Amino acid sequence: MTRFSAAMVVLCTQKPKTIYLVLLVLTLLIGSQIPRIQIDTDPENMLDASHPARVLHNQTKQQFSMHDAIVVGVVSDHPQGVYNALTLNDVHSLTETILDIDGVVASDVMALSTVDNIDQAAPGTIRFEWMMKTPPSSDEQALEIRDKVERLPLLYDTLTSQSGKAAAIYVPIVDKNESYRIAETIRASTNGFTHGDNWYITGLPVAEDQFGFEMFVQMGISAPLAGLTIFILLFVFFRNVPLIIAPMVVAMATVIITMGALIGLGFTVHIMSSMIAIFLMPIAVVDSVHILSEFSDRYKPGQNLHDVVNEVIGHLFTPMLYTSVTSSVGFYSLMLTPIPPVQIFGAFVGTGILLAFLITVTFIPAYLARMSDSSLEKLQAVLHGDGDKQSRIARVARGLGTIANRFQSSLLSVFAIVFAISVWGITQIQINDNPVRWFKSDHEIRVADRVLNHHFAGTYDAYIVIKDRSDVPSAQALLSDTPPQGLSDWVVETQQSLQNLSATEQLQQLIIAIDDKLFSDVTEQQSAWLEKTLNTADSALNSAKTFQSPQVLNTIQELQAHLQASGLVGKSNSLADVVKVVNRELRSGQPNDYVLPNSSAAVAQTLLQYQSSHRPQDLWHFVTPDYRSTLIWLQLTSGDNQDMTHVVQLVSDYVEANPLPQGLSVDWAGKAYLNVVWQDNMVAGMLDSLLSAFVIVFIMMVLLFRSVVFGVLAMLPLTITITFIYGLIGIVGKDYDMPIAVLSALTLGLSVDFAIHFLERTRAIYQQTGDLKQTLQAMFGEPATAISRNALVIALGFTPLLFAPLVPYITVGVFLASIMAISALVTLLVLPAVMSKARRWVFR
Amino acid sequence: MKTLVTGALLTLAANFPAVADVNLDELVQQAERAAYYAGEDGRSQARMMIVDGQGRKQMRQFTILRKDVEDNGDQKMLVFFDRPTDVKDTVFRVEKHALLDQDDDRWLYLPALDLVKRISAGDKRTSFVGSHFFYEDVSGRAIAEDSFSLQQETDTQYVLRAEPKKPDTVEFAYYDVSIDKATSLPVLINFYKASGEHYRQVEAVQIETIQGYPTVVRSKVTDLASGGYTLMEFRGAEYDLGLPDDLFSERSLRTPPRQWLN
Repeated sequence: MTRFSAAMVVLCTQKPKTIYLVLLVLTLLIGSQIPRIQIDTDPENMLDASHPARVLHNQTKQQFSMHDAIVVGVVSDHPQGVYNALTLNDVHSLTETILDIDGVVASDVMALSTVDNIDQAAPGTIRFEWMMKTPPSSDEQALEIRDKVERLPLLYDTLTSQSGKAAAIYVPIVDKNESYRIAETIRASTNGFTHGDNWYITGLPVAEDQFGFEMFVQMGISAPLAGLTIFILLFVFFRNVPLIIAPMVVAMATVIITMGALIGLGFTVHIMSSMIAIFLMPIAVVDSVHILSEFSDRYKPGQNLHDVVNEVIGHLFTPMLYTSVTSSVGFYSLMLTPIPPVQIFGAFVGTGILLAFLITVTFIPAYLARMSDSSLEKLQAVLHGDGDKQSRIARVARGLGTIANRFQSSLLSVFAIVFAISVWGITQIQINDNPVRWFKSDHEIRVADRVLNHHFAGTYDAYIVIKDRSDVPSAQALLSDTPPQGLSDWVVETQQSLQNLSATEQLQQLIIAIDDKLFSDVTEQQSAWLEKTLNTADSALNSAKTFQSPQVLNTIQELQAHLQASGLVGKSNSLADVVKVVNRELRSGQPNDYVLPNSSAAVAQTLLQYQSSHRPQDLWHFVTPDYRSTLIWLQLTSGDNQDMTHVVQLVSDYVEANPLPQGLSVDWAGKAYLNVVWQDNMVAGMLDSLLSAFVIVFIMMVLLFRSVVFGVLAMLPLTITITFIYGLIGIVGKDYDMPIAVLSALTLGLSVDFAIHFLERTRAIYQQTGDLKQTLQAMFGEPATAISRNALVIALGFTPLLFAPLVPYITVGVFLASIMAISALVTLLVLPAVMSKARRWVFR
Repeated sequence: MKTLVTGALLTLAANFPAVADVNLDELVQQAERAAYYAGEDGRSQARMMIVDGQGRKQMRQFTILRKDVEDNGDQKMLVFFDRPTDVKDTVFRVEKHALLDQDDDRWLYLPALDLVKRISAGDKRTSFVGSHFFYEDVSGRAIAEDSFSLQQETDTQYVLRAEPKKPDTVEFAYYDVSIDKATSLPVLINFYKASGEHYRQVEAVQIETIQGYPTVVRSKVTDLASGGYTLMEFRGAEYDLGLPDDLFSERSLRTPPRQWLN
């Protein structure tokens, strides 16, 4: 290894221009892919496209003709709430505008002026009419609309709030990538309203769009800011601009090549990969800091520049290689998590770290070899000019050394106690996430989310999908009786024409075919056979319509009542509600008729009336035309995964205690549910990647130091640190969410670096001195200073994330900065103590 | 009197785009007669196939009985459902009134609920039992509702533009109707929004002459936004059966007049 590294350094120092050229060409070539960037903000992509839950979700969306929707809300302070002429006129005119916007699914827009009212025009007279065909011309008329809406459970608390203060318009859109344009058009209209009402625009497509925008802000601001922070820190350390240009070049080249490769290979930039730049930058300069620290320490005027460079690199090559590999192992372990964006992030940062190492060991020697004498003299003047005036960081390091060496026993006890408490804290961790909370609390999306969920039954959607999976008799089977003379050809033809249809459509087409045949010239015998088959087909088709059965609808109604009673669900809507409303209006219009009719035929006839409205297609949002799949639409006021998990549990407990009729299955769809699925995946996946990273890093440590004891020592500080941080999260009650989960594995690879350098140097010095006490004294000179410098570079390098517009970025910033600082501290405080106490095993 | 006035207005409007020798009033009346008033009365079996944007199908089968009170005027209608069998014997009864300010009378019988219900007139542009046909497409939109102007005349067709007199009561801004010169039947109607968006189409797919009356035996309505459509097929159409007046009464709702239905 040393021979290889020596040869390489010689090559680099002798042909620096070649190195420059290669690096420049690579950076430009791969970096040229960056403008092709594709942003991906869809939380659905946290699951693989073929994940069963996601497949079912999309299938459900298609089967029930559902689209992602923008939600527009208005809150009015008028004494009559939104039921005043002015506000309703605005709602009406805004709806007209919305219906004319390209890309809006106009037929499915839900607003007071696009839905139907069903009521009694007079005793014995049912009426279907537009709820608000024309806007009310007086406040009295506006109140009439309230009276109508309040009678319709499907609309009440969805289109207008129970408080009467708020109204909503649901705007389904064809393509969610168009949401920005559509939302802006809507906003332009609402900005023109001058009656003092507050208008809000939210909904998942809008949130995602906003998210994409904030991601660019983050990449455009936080990443350069991180670069600047690192530059300033390096300047503080080395006071030499030409010298610190080198690590900056390493960082830039690494980031540009990695991002260029990611984009060039066709990967989209998701919230995780948008952080690649900010992760790579501090990590990329760490090796350079070691080289520069040691170089500026060793180089004295008059020495052969090339020799010093060779010596420094030869000295640091192995520890740098190992720290780079361990760091990348931490990131690569993320690939074990079954969440595609996390896998891509892990793969590219892991590779980026190795790339940074490669660039460091080639470019830095080349660069140092070309430094002018005057720059080198200035460097000397700053660093060795005044022997007494130690740098501040060196003084801190020495101070730490005093503590570490003097209070060994107390330190060990304190860390043992902290560790024990932390382990308990970990058991207190609450797993929870909600993509809307990725926005800051005062972000307009969060504000809209709070306001609308305060007024309405909930803007978070989840769907219970109930399917009848039992078999429907096939048309083939119905035609299997031997037909009378002269019909065999017809039977064969019919069977062929039905082949590729679904079971219920087969029955429907068979009925038509028989009916047509009966209409033509048939013998009496043929007619009797056909009639018989027709009757069988008719009744088979009827009994296949599972969700027309009052018994089955009653099961659904009871499940809904159970959900409502639990208080976890804002509101639920189902086919049973549709049937009950129409039934009530067909009968007396009185509350006592708000019940399910008593036969399948009665349900069918009720629904035939529902379909005689302006919006017959609304029925297919609740049931498929074959009546074999239905859904219960749940409105939740919270999108927290924890709350959704409770609802899922509630339903599964209920179904266990009250089994559904034979053949029916229950599934889930909806974004709120998908979030739960990927979060479960993540928690399980993270444990895998954490454990595997731990094992791999441990094995690497044993190999590096050729000692199990040193392997254990190397793992000690990061174990204490990670346990402490996660314990703290459990104790303070911060939710264990996506960023926190992701960070567990990768910090392991990063924080072990300090221990590697510390142990490597301790062992080297011990070999020279043979005395532990003396060794530890020496360790808190240059080595501890270098470790502290690096801890600061990484910790502070992440702090620009604190200014990022999205919460996950901030979490990552705080988390990484503290984990780096703490693990450096723990390394410096714990390792000397343990090594002293366990001297017999450590230094044999 | 009213018809005369309306007719005069129509003629006046039609004079502007040229083709002075076409009597528009007569043209639309003739078209209305051909489409909705063939014979003194009539019976037909109908089957609708409702196909949604995803190609999913639903079938409805029914028999229509009709008797005219007066050509281009009032009509009585009964619609008896056969299929799907869960809605069998559901009946609609309609007394259509041609005058602009007189609403139709509509009743409904639902056998499984054992219920006769009057349906409030109100809006006639609601779906006919879940199909893409509106109730008004089945009963016929009275020509008095719209102002017509001639757009184009070809060898075989007149193309008229119709604008609603009460735009608030309909969802379209205007429609263009193509009338076949040979049969006087409207064969294509295209509906437009105010934006000019063509969103709905009604077409006569097949025409047969029955008892001397050109009759649309297949027609289709397409919702151009979703791609869904409804195909309606008629068969066994017969005219001038001598249907008695008292057939069109509430009694026929609960007791289907079997002898007139087959």
